[in-house]
Amino acid sequence: MPNIGQFVLHTLANPPLKAGDYTLHGHMDVAGGPTADYDGHVRITSPRFSLPPDQVLSTFPPANSEGSYEERLPQIVLKRRTLPWERSAAPGDTTTPWLALVVIAEGEGTLSGNVAVAECVTAGVALTGPNDVATGTYLSVTQTVVNKVFPTKNDLSLLCHVREVDIRDTELANGDDDGFLAVVLANRLPQFDRTNNAPVRYLACLINLEGQLGALPPPAPPFTLKFRATDVVFDVRPLAAQGGGDADRGVMGGATGLRAANAAVRTEAAPAVKKTTTSNWATTTAKVEHAALTSPKGEAGRIVRDVMLEGYRADVGHFVFVEPVYRFPVLAHWSFTVTNAGGFETYMRNLDVGLLGTAVRPAAVPPGVPPPPPAPRPAPEFTETGHVGLPHLTRRGERVRAWYRGPFASHPTARDEKDADEHLPCAHVSDQLRRVVPDGREDLSLAGAFEIGRLLALSQPSVVRALLAWRAEQFGAERARQIVSGVSDAATLVQPDLKGRASDLGALISRRLVVSAAGDPEKVLAPSRPLADPGRPLPFAHDGGLDALLAAGFGLRATEVAKRVKEIGAVAALQETPVPIAEGHDAGPLLEGPTADRLRTRLTDVVDRLTEDALKRREAPIGTPAIAPAVASETSRDALDALIDRASRGSE
Amino acid sequence: MLLKNINAERVLKISADVSVFVEPTPADDDPHYGPRVVPIELSRFLARLRLLEGVPFAYLAPDADLLPRESIRFFYLDRAWTDALVQGALSVGTVNSSDRAQLETLYPFVRDEVDEEERRVRLPGGEAVQQGPAGPVTGFLLRSRAVSGWPGLHVRAYREELGAADDMTIPESDPRRVKLLRMERLAPAVLLVLFDGIPAVVHIEEPRQGIQFGVRLLPDAAPNEFQGGVNARNALTTENVNPDPTVMVPVPFRQGAPGVLDLARLNASLIATAGTNMGTEVDGAEFALQMLRFPYRQVFGDPNVVGPPPPIADVFKPTIALSKLRIAFEEVLHP
Repeated sequence: MPNIGQFVLHTLANPPLKAGDYTLHGHMDVAGGPTADYDGHVRITSPRFSLPPDQVLSTFPPANSEGSYEERLPQIVLKRRTLPWERSAAPGDTTTPWLALVVIAEGEGTLSGNVAVAECVTAGVALTGPNDVATGTYLSVTQTVVNKVFPTKNDLSLLCHVREVDIRDTELANGDDDGFLAVVLANRLPQFDRTNNAPVRYLACLINLEGQLGALPPPAPPFTLKFRATDVVFDVRPLAAQGGGDADRGVMGGATGLRAANAAVRTEAAPAVKKTTTSNWATTTAKVEHAALTSPKGEAGRIVRDVMLEGYRADVGHFVFVEPVYRFPVLAHWSFTVTNAGGFETYMRNLDVGLLGTAVRPAAVPPGVPPPPPAPRPAPEFTETGHVGLPHLTRRGERVRAWYRGPFASHPTARDEKDADEHLPCAHVSDQLRRVVPDGREDLSLAGAFEIGRLLALSQPSVVRALLAWRAEQFGAERARQIVSGVSDAATLVQPDLKGRASDLGALISRRLVVSAAGDPEKVLAPSRPLADPGRPLPFAHDGGLDALLAAGFGLRATEVAKRVKEIGAVAALQETPVPIAEGHDAGPLLEGPTADRLRTRLTDVVDRLTEDALKRREAPIGTPAIAPAVASETSRDALDALIDRASRGSE
Repeated sequence: MLLKNINAERVLKISADVSVFVEPTPADDDPHYGPRVVPIELSRFLARLRLLEGVPFAYLAPDADLLPRESIRFFYLDRAWTDALVQGALSVGTVNSSDRAQLETLYPFVRDEVDEEERRVRLPGGEAVQQGPAGPVTGFLLRSRAVSGWPGLHVRAYREELGAADDMTIPESDPRRVKLLRMERLAPAVLLVLFDGIPAVVHIEEPRQGIQFGVRLLPDAAPNEFQGGVNARNALTTENVNPDPTVMVPVPFRQGAPGVLDLARLNASLIATAGTNMGTEVDGAEFALQMLRFPYRQVFGDPNVVGPPPPIADVFKPTIALSKLRIAFEEVLHP
């Protein structure tokens, strides 16, 4: 098992048995007697006309992709390592692979739809042995195309190999299950159409060569060490466009059909021939993508492969009569587009390298070719310093020319340095950065930079907010703090709060003043007024007055209560003192009868006595009916007196 | 009575003194970088402005002829221009003369802090920040189909010639490497790269795309004619047979068919090339090894450098082991 990032290349992986039907014969000799022989049948299957899509791990170039693939050979990576060797391409040949990857451009061949497998091979070739499916597709190409494009018999084993990777290496393993992959390369570099400067779509097909190895080109075809990118192999589309699929007309009368067929087949196109370009290469790519996204789940693969075959539908066999047309079963196919000439290396090698301001040298005009037309606009003014002359409309309306150079210069530039006071020049308006050049024009490079910097800052509200907050904090508040700290040694009582975020001196001091004032209000403001006015002194609120008042109110002996009060307190004394209870033990209802009348009269007497007491006397012995009127108070009469008068008048 | 010692004259005098000798105080106390005069968000915005983020392309290349098609143009960045950008952005926050006077005294600190922040805008993968005063900034503009076709280009710059070690991968924190301050595609086919220093060698490399096979096409004298070549490799050690990359085994093509390789003949010429150790028989794995193509790396440097020429093309050395697989059963079935 190789390490991650490494891979091992193997030449081939031959399965022990090729695909086909076998009989297994078993014989056993047993001491006890004869035994019957065993005859079993074994069938080893392998794809022949169709490859399940999960057997393909990856393809290069990726399906339906566009790019510069001129320097790369298309390849297909298969999951099963033995697949290219599972069948014999020719009887008796065990090491030649039966698979080949061919790349054909539009017009060079045709791919059919689903047909019965008997039609998938050239007429006259019969494939023996069991078939894996009943229908398949085939590629039909003319002899010319086979001779020019297909690999020879000796090439086949060079084009297939086995790669072993670590299955944990996800990039190289690509989802394989055992780390061994079979790789089939193509033998053709897809080319860009340089005659018309147009992209070319190619179809890569994995074909089955069983029984048809004889159709492949001879082992040593004529070769050359250079190739002309504008050569055309074969194109059936002009034939198809001219119509005339009628065999009769083609052979007998339709001279155009026959001659055109001959011409297309025999001559090598000179660069001057106008070749019909790949039709609708861009829309086909888009169509395939659309089909991939919108097809229902089970059908997506089939539909996408179908859409990729646009442009390969013209039946070659229909139009070409002078040479044999071969059919090869196709197991897998995909298409891609070559959009640019050359690959990454070509682009990087052909770059024009230079410092900014280097003019491009005009391409050398080969003799005989007319010179290129002059450029539509005049060449710009460049200086050695990298400045460009641009038209300038001044504020006053004059049209002049000015110099401008962007941030990129072709030589190192100087930056402003700090002077002796650690000071740097700083511009506040773009006009401060306009310079005048000795030839009288202005140099607006720095002014332009200032303005665009200003506009970029203004275009983002968050930056504006941050700048204004910084201005308030850094400039205003800081200045205030520093002034105050210089001043504050004089103000001993009022120390402004230096940690505050007020942005000016006045706010700082006024805040501090308020705080100090609130701390000592009597010095700053007037003395404070008590919360409530004192009320009038109560008349009974004098020595022993309250106890006597309570006793008289409850009809209790005052002296007794007073004695007890001194011992245990007013409420407890009142509780202990026995309350005289009126007699009346009649069995009748309490509130009726003579007892009730007696209680009622007694109650009214007591109430009268109490109210007379409260109004006229301070002290009233119990049971004394005569009540001396109370001494009126010498103090001035107020609202309370009036209220009491009214109440007493009401009771009389 | 309380404030009797503070009067207008005294305040004015102290303010005047303070305005002249203002000390910048920290506006932000960043946990990583300590007290700074410029708030962090503002500082980051100014650093990105310094790296020309957001500046319209017309300001960078005022004329289309400055950047023709399929060209690469190297330049020095004009620090005065980027300082003017920053001054323009700061002018949004100053309204009156006192603000402007204050900004003038603060500007040296602002400039130094933005110089430091410039280096922190692009910090891939936890690399350490480069320390030291702000040096010259250089870069290049590349306009080519290579940028649109291969969006993930790798760019590296080195302070000095690496000599024979052109194919090494050196981490970005190595002092020999010049750090990238910015690498961005301004348009599908235009790439802008800024370096923190003056590089002696720049590498631009194709992004990887799995294992690929192919040949190298070289244009011939006649228009639209190409020659193909393969750098032969030693099948046992996988090193190039000839260290000079321009010496290639010519690839034969089929006549009349553009791009179709004549593989048998190519194999024969590879076997015939001295040093390939390929054996005499046809072998798919050895052939695949010869056809392997690695990501291409273009080196921009001084062509007059003395010493062995650095292998400019195909500098990767594959480390692949070869073996023949013979299943034991086959030996039994086909002895």
